[in-house]
Amino acid sequence: MATRRALKAVLIDLSGTLHIEDTAISGAQEALQKLRSAPVAVKFVTNTTKECKRTLCERLQKLNFDIHEDEIFTSLTAARNLVEQEQVRPLLLVDDSALEDFEGIDTSGPNAVVVGLAPQHFNYNTLNKAFRLILDGAPLIAIHKARYYKKLDGLSLGPGPFITGLEYATDVKATVVGKPEKPFFVEALRSIGCQPEEAVMIGDVCTELVN
Amino acid sequence: MVYFLWCRIKEADLKVRFCTNETQATREKFVAKLQNLGFDITFGEVFAPAPAACQILKERGLRPHLLVHDGLLPEFNQIDQSNPNCVVIGDAADNFSYKNLNEAFQVLIGLEKPVLLSLGRGRYYKETDGMKLDVGAYMKALEYACDIKAEVIGKPAKMFFLSALSDMDLEPDQVIMIGDDIVNDVGGAQQCGMKAVQVRTGKYRPCDEQHPTVKADGYVDNLAQAVKILLEHLH
Repeated sequence: MATRRALKAVLIDLSGTLHIEDTAISGAQEALQKLRSAPVAVKFVTNTTKECKRTLCERLQKLNFDIHEDEIFTSLTAARNLVEQEQVRPLLLVDDSALEDFEGIDTSGPNAVVVGLAPQHFNYNTLNKAFRLILDGAPLIAIHKARYYKKLDGLSLGPGPFITGLEYATDVKATVVGKPEKPFFVEALRSIGCQPEEAVMIGDVCTELVN
Repeated sequence: MVYFLWCRIKEADLKVRFCTNETQATREKFVAKLQNLGFDITFGEVFAPAPAACQILKERGLRPHLLVHDGLLPEFNQIDQSNPNCVVIGDAADNFSYKNLNEAFQVLIGLEKPVLLSLGRGRYYKETDGMKLDVGAYMKALEYACDIKAEVIGKPAKMFFLSALSDMDLEPDQVIMIGDDIVNDVGGAQQCGMKAVQVRTGKYRPCDEQHPTVKADGYVDNLAQAVKILLEHLH
């Protein structure tokens, strides 16, 4: 990949690139240390929606990664920004541990649906509830549309399939705020004052890599 | 629920067939339920996806992992389900748990040639306690997850309608279809060359009458009105 301008920033994916659940990818800690000695800003970008920034950071620090909470930009943050912008009250189909990132958002009498990686909500009854809201006009906000994610015991369905199902049933297109959508990367780079051509992305899923 | 009416020019006899995507119960249970409601309907007049699927499974040597309603399982009693090499998905209702969907996904993703047979592809249907997601939504979920296309058995698949017509030994232009689903009943029938009428009951929504691609040959309030108009048209 040819860069026309000097590299100023590196965006690094977390799950699958630095770690898988509570196991660090072999050699990743040392690789990050070497990167830190270079004159580039580092931002950790992730579609991981099962955890809020704080617990994510703690988990990585326990795996001996040199990482700080404010270096993490998640698709949950991007979703919250959109909810506030649109002034909607969301039905949050997100993991309990991710709710912290939505603190202060009014969720009573929902008129929007936010879908993250939340296996406990991907059941017939809850999806029917979300479906009816969207049929009544509620916007569908997708934190990301990953097809599946890697667990130590194999692959598991991500939120993408369920969002696709809701889109099909309601004939409504979701607004996707996470990777690989452009707004996500633009927002992440904005927070470190970089242009796209000054940055490089390192990740493990082909369809998500953006030049 | 859809009714086929067969018109003979000379005798004005009407033959009826029931073409349904019902997959929460066996045909026997389904027919019994309707008979209890006072409908004059017999087992042989009903065309449903599960029996059609069983035929296809046998023809193609497919052994299914089933993601269907418990009530439908007896339809598959004669089918070898060991070492599955495909997934069959129906309107599983409460069986659409994350765990069950994940199992189906893992079967598919582990196959060199993943085959997903979907009993219908309806988007939603209406029950007494509100609108509910139909099998189509979950079919799309698995299609997306595995990057594959499902094969649809049941409405609106052409083969399904044609099998009912062939059973009556009729051409499409001799048959009229009545149903509440603008896409699966009306659109599907029209694609086979039949005329089709939508009833304003069941899952009908007013926006169906402005559907971007399907225009019914008629919109009527209910089945009774449809039949009245058809009989009047015959005489």
